[in-house]
Amino acid sequence: MTLFSLARKNIKGNFNNYFVYFVTLVFSMVIYYTFTSLQYSEKIQESIELSDTMSFMFGVSSIILILFVAIFILYSNSFFTRKRKKEVGLYAILGLRKKTIAKMLFYENLIMGIIAIVIGIILGTLLSKLFAMILIKLMGSIAEVDFGISILAITQTVIVFMVIILFTSVQGYRLIYRFTLIELFYDEKKGEQIPKVSLITAVIGVIFLVVSYWLILKPFPDEFTTEYLIKNYGIAFVALVIGTHLFFRSVTVYLLRLSQKNKSRYYRGTRIIETSRLLFRIRGNARTFTVIALLSAATICFLGATYSGYYSNEKRAKEVVPFSYSHLSKGPEFDSQVESIIKADHRHPIKAQLDIPVIQVKGILSFQLDYDINPVKLISESTFNKVANALNKDETVSLSGNQAAVIQPRFTEYTKSVFKGENITIQLHQGSNELPFVHMVESNVLPFDYPDFFLVVSNEMFAEIAKKEAPLTYKVYEVENEVTAQATSKKVNKLVGNDFQVSSSFYTEYKQGKEGNAITLFIFGFLGLVFLAATGSIIYFKQLTEANEAKGHYEILRKIGVNKKDIRKSIKRQSLFVFGLPLTIGILHSCVALYFTSNFISNLIGINLIFPILMAIVFFVIIYAVYYVLTVNTYNRIVNK
Amino acid sequence: MKTIVEAKQIKKVYGAKGNVFSALEDIDLTVMEGEFVGIMGPSGAGKSTLLNILATIDEPTAGDIVVDGINLTKMNEEQLSAFRRDKLGFLFQDYNLLDTLTVKENIILPLALAKLNVEELERRADEVADKFGIRDILNKYPYQISGGQKQRTAASRAIISKPNLILADEPTGALDSKSATDLLESLKDLNEQDKATILMVTHDAYAASYCNRVLFIKDGKIFTELVKGKRSRKEFFNKVLDVLSALGGGANDVI
Repeated sequence: MTLFSLARKNIKGNFNNYFVYFVTLVFSMVIYYTFTSLQYSEKIQESIELSDTMSFMFGVSSIILILFVAIFILYSNSFFTRKRKKEVGLYAILGLRKKTIAKMLFYENLIMGIIAIVIGIILGTLLSKLFAMILIKLMGSIAEVDFGISILAITQTVIVFMVIILFTSVQGYRLIYRFTLIELFYDEKKGEQIPKVSLITAVIGVIFLVVSYWLILKPFPDEFTTEYLIKNYGIAFVALVIGTHLFFRSVTVYLLRLSQKNKSRYYRGTRIIETSRLLFRIRGNARTFTVIALLSAATICFLGATYSGYYSNEKRAKEVVPFSYSHLSKGPEFDSQVESIIKADHRHPIKAQLDIPVIQVKGILSFQLDYDINPVKLISESTFNKVANALNKDETVSLSGNQAAVIQPRFTEYTKSVFKGENITIQLHQGSNELPFVHMVESNVLPFDYPDFFLVVSNEMFAEIAKKEAPLTYKVYEVENEVTAQATSKKVNKLVGNDFQVSSSFYTEYKQGKEGNAITLFIFGFLGLVFLAATGSIIYFKQLTEANEAKGHYEILRKIGVNKKDIRKSIKRQSLFVFGLPLTIGILHSCVALYFTSNFISNLIGINLIFPILMAIVFFVIIYAVYYVLTVNTYNRIVNK
Repeated sequence: MKTIVEAKQIKKVYGAKGNVFSALEDIDLTVMEGEFVGIMGPSGAGKSTLLNILATIDEPTAGDIVVDGINLTKMNEEQLSAFRRDKLGFLFQDYNLLDTLTVKENIILPLALAKLNVEELERRADEVADKFGIRDILNKYPYQISGGQKQRTAASRAIISKPNLILADEPTGALDSKSATDLLESLKDLNEQDKATILMVTHDAYAASYCNRVLFIKDGKIFTELVKGKRSRKEFFNKVLDVLSALGGGANDVI
């Protein structure tokens, strides 16, 4: 029992030293618990009727979180023990038996862990309620958020963390056996050496980065296989990691060294102090910088890509389902039934109501196109122009004789030049017609249905063909404020059935996309926040430890006659480098990766994603900046009181 | 001759009500240009406090200090920093070199902070390095050189800005006798040839014997003063030892 109380007193006595580690523990637990409790919450599961990918997404994210949390705790644990080696050495010198010390360290870690679990779960319960509300708000559901305490989530959190804590406790137990007394005592004295400049590794680092960028930005091959995906982007990823590390290890050293060459700049003011300090610390920081740059890149990518999806959902839905409601005419009785349902919804009055006659024919292109075009759907010039007008698009066509305009098939990237000078031969019951392509337009008419190949022909031509092939008539409605037409959409969907591959009402498509995107945005947003908080904290704590070590350094400067203002400026500049360098590299990496993904996405839906990506970056930088200010202030308080 | 330091009625009191400890009591001190003054006394006598106050690192509770015609008590932090940089040179027992800088960079630091141009800076660095015989270690780092070399580096840094006053706090405290003698000889040369004004706190009677004048402090007050005059260094050394034994406790502190 005395040992147990010694361990307890240890924690109580040096709470400041333990605080950082303890906060890390609690933080990790809060995050993990919040996440699992969301995962197990029935309310959340219920409110998503349409997306069944949710539990899969949550499952994968939960594994990523466990890995992350474990690494984060192990990292801060080793950081914490490193600081305490001397204390442990002192106990040994004072005559405590190794076994006693080992047991003490074991208990200490265990007590902290258990307290952290309790606090973590309490805070997590509160936070999960908040996060659930955010998620439901994002999805646009009007569900009640009522959170009970989830036993399953508590059990899972306790199990996961007990494993991690037991592991770190055993590490603590072994500390005294792993090192000799002399090693424990002189650990901090190991002076860091000035790194040697190696031009070769610097060059190799840059080459790796260039190669990985090149691989990522390379245009897609004609055949897009999984093997290619793994080979190309796998290599790119490995090259990126190695390149980033070498960059921080060598290229920065090289650049700092180069800046020292310019004596009249270097020997001026406090620059000499900052440059040399950074140079000294760079070896120790290189790995952290690499981790932070890569984590920042990953976070920005997550946020950027998912926010893009969320952001572009309405546009995407509008493209897939152009009108609020569309259906195939099935006789006057049926049609009026649908019409009366839509008319009955007074909150969403009809803006436009059209009949769209469509003729389906077989067609043969005069050239090779890797898109299945049959059956070709013909609509008349006047129909197209009426549709464009009803949807407020200023795209009109005017055709004469046998001229035809193609509507760009959705989810493809064909350009005007593909069809230019070519023609299509459409086969009718009696004879065939050759129609030259004169135009390509982008306004869609009906909900997506593969193959999505529409031709606009002149009114005369349409009338002529209609004599031979009876047109189908689609009825479309555009209503006010279609994004909220939930009830009517449900009724219409029920009545219409599966006329198209996608839903026949805009609202359903919109809602489905929004919910799916909201969940990904939430999960990745959550992971992004975790990474962000972690990267920020890692730099913060690292800088603070450094500040404590550098106290003497700044005292000397004060004695030599550097005033407080200049020291503060010097700290600012130094921290700016420490924060800015990995951030810059991270943003650069993420821009490259996002360029790739946004190409991928915007090719599919034709939307410019610069705005959402920029938003994600700005958001990231702002939070990062808060950490920077916090670090500068604390650093300054420590060395410049 | 010019007066460099003129301190009047300096008081330094530590602690709050009820538990007051007076480190310095009404100390008067005058140092003329070109003097090499030693301050001796037993541990806790207030030597270092006095030096720190003169160095503007510490503030007196009461009293006036004028250094080179400038009243220290009336300056703010920024002015004091500039004053330290331009007028004072420091030499400490633990060298106070920056690990991250080379010997040369350490030496030129005060000039770099004062934003002197590079040619002048390089010229002066060579000049002082020659004076202290550390030219061939200029590109080494502090952890690569010996204690004696470190202290000579510190001394080079102390004089490179041509300060009006050099303050030395136990500069030989951590050195072996050979290195200590080298350093003291250098300081003496500096004093005699360049007319540098030096104020040195020391425990060591041998180090004190290099001074022109030695002040003895006990319990925060000036106990006595010895002037070397025409005496040889050896005779002066013995005189210092006599005073120390009279001071009581002091002799035990002789290293």
